[in-house]
Amino acid sequence: MKAAVIDVRGLVKDYGRTRALAGLDLEVLPGEVYGFIGPNGAGKSTTIRVLMDLLRPDAGEVTVFGQAPQEGGPALRSRIGYLPGELALTGRVTAGEHLHHLASLRGGRGRQRIGQLAERFRLDLGRPIRALSRGNKQKVGVIQAVMHEPDLLVLDEPTSGLDPLLQHEFLELVRELRARGATVLMSSHVLREVESVADRVAVIREGRTVDVDSVDGLRRRAGQRVMLRFAEVPELSSLAALPGVERPRLEGTTFECQLHGEPDALLKAAARHRVIGWVARDRDLEELFMDVYRLGQATGIDAAPGTGAVEAPDAR
Amino acid sequence: MRAEGLTSLRRVWRDHRRAMWIWAAALAVVTVFYLAFWPMMGEEMAAAIEGMPEGLMAAMGYDRIGTAAGYLEAVIYGLLGPVMLLVYGIGLGGRLIAGQEEDGTLELEFAAPVSRLRIYLERLLGSWLLVATLVVATTVAVLVSGPLFDLGVEPLNVLAASLGLLLLVVGFTTLAFALGAAGARRSAAVGAAAGVAVLAYVFRGVANAAGVEVLGALSPFAWMLDPEPLVHGFEPQSLALLAAISVIAAPLGAWAFARRDLMT
Ligand SMILES: Nc1ncnc2c1ncn2[C@@H]1O[C@H](COP(=O)(O)OP(=O)(O)OP(=O)(O)O)[C@@H](O)[C@H]1O
Ligand SMILES: [Mg+2]
Repeated sequence: MKAAVIDVRGLVKDYGRTRALAGLDLEVLPGEVYGFIGPNGAGKSTTIRVLMDLLRPDAGEVTVFGQAPQEGGPALRSRIGYLPGELALTGRVTAGEHLHHLASLRGGRGRQRIGQLAERFRLDLGRPIRALSRGNKQKVGVIQAVMHEPDLLVLDEPTSGLDPLLQHEFLELVRELRARGATVLMSSHVLREVESVADRVAVIREGRTVDVDSVDGLRRRAGQRVMLRFAEVPELSSLAALPGVERPRLEGTTFECQLHGEPDALLKAAARHRVIGWVARDRDLEELFMDVYRLGQATGIDAAPGTGAVEAPDAR
Repeated sequence: MRAEGLTSLRRVWRDHRRAMWIWAAALAVVTVFYLAFWPMMGEEMAAAIEGMPEGLMAAMGYDRIGTAAGYLEAVIYGLLGPVMLLVYGIGLGGRLIAGQEEDGTLELEFAAPVSRLRIYLERLLGSWLLVATLVVATTVAVLVSGPLFDLGVEPLNVLAASLGLLLLVVGFTTLAFALGAAGARRSAAVGAAAGVAVLAYVFRGVANAAGVEVLGALSPFAWMLDPEPLVHGFEPQSLALLAAISVIAAPLGAWAFARRDLMT
């Protein structure tokens, strides 16, 4: 396997007495788009700030392109494009001047792409940055993160504030970057935002990685919501104990459950009764995520226990 | 790839030049305005202070106010100049790292391929440049006022006094800057630097009024004014003491800045 672009093991970070990260693991491979998902306060921004050497780890190992962020210093950061979670832009300089300033901090790299990217995201470069709306500020953030064509993009909630059209445009841009060989780590609260581009996803909660899987793997594990209506009341235990059946519920003659894996056993058991109606729909990933958020652990029959269960990024 | 020459410094200048020019104009106007009173004040002043108690006069620095150099020192170099410049410099010093770190506007600069030391140095240099421009504006106002209002003070001595003022203000600007860079909140950095400045001012007053020489020896205001640069010109030893504030504070701030968490 190729060496990981980002390798984080057992990362611990405290803010005074608050433990923000409690042994987080993360492994991002070259060329993959990696979703970094977790509820508010899970530790996404903290992890990302450690990668950017804004914060220094209290314990654990962190490498980016094989180097600790502090060791790598400016040379390492020159390979990374970073979009902060809360981008503060104040002052009377215009968006264009600000982007030129940021390009200048990178030795001028990316300067020639500012105009073209501004056009693509419909950003008016002549407006003062403090007068920009939130979405327009976010565009400045996106443009500065990608303009120098970095090998690695670290994006903290990149689509927040963008309208659906621009979210779409942004995801398109991420696909282009991947096609060019860039590696992307993007955080979000919701899987929906990243599922269309991410190869793999890590779910974190309270400073720990609770689940890692490919988006397809997650989809499989999300399972289905099944409802069966019978002519007469069936025996609950005969259905509830079947493999893959979870959260069974019997209401009158209607049986409902979550189903993971093959439906064969359930169908054959059901067929012993007279079935007068049935519905089976794929659970959407959001439902799976609510489970993970609530329970703080992986769900589903073939759940990978915690971290490290690595599938090839191009499993899809 | 390395950042282009002095990108951070140029940005600091750019962000602050407008306000700075307004301060420069204000300082120049105030300076000329007060010095314009000299021709009238000179004689009256000499008469008025005749009856004052000696201790009070010494504390206020009025014992020499009957001379042009004494008036210029008491009004501009001993009071208005340092007060206005310190308000500006300490506020600026606290803002350039601590303040901008708190409001988040430095996050992208910190994440850029620029070392923390370089960010620190360019921003510190930026603050010095802004403060120095204000001192130059004040000095020019004094030099222009000289012949206009018959001050009769040696231009070279004015430059000596201005250099002392510059080193004093740069010292406290650097102190606020270094404290903020070392991890103090902006308000704490500004408060501490301003507190030390006020203390230094009071120390000199007490030292002169009550003759407590230890306090004078500890006060940068005494270092700046007691050698009477407007009369005697440059005095390397006290200038070196004033410069020492920056020379000590700046590296300590840089050392701590390179080691701590940012944006927390
Ligand atoms: N500057 C700080 N000082 C103290 N505690 C902090 C600070 N920043 C974050 N925390 C705490 O650390 C934990 C992780 O925060 P972090 O910002 O990394 O979460 P996040 O996953 O990015 O959340 P969000 O989705 O809301 O952005 C939270 O409990 C938060 O309260
Ligand atoms: Mg966050």
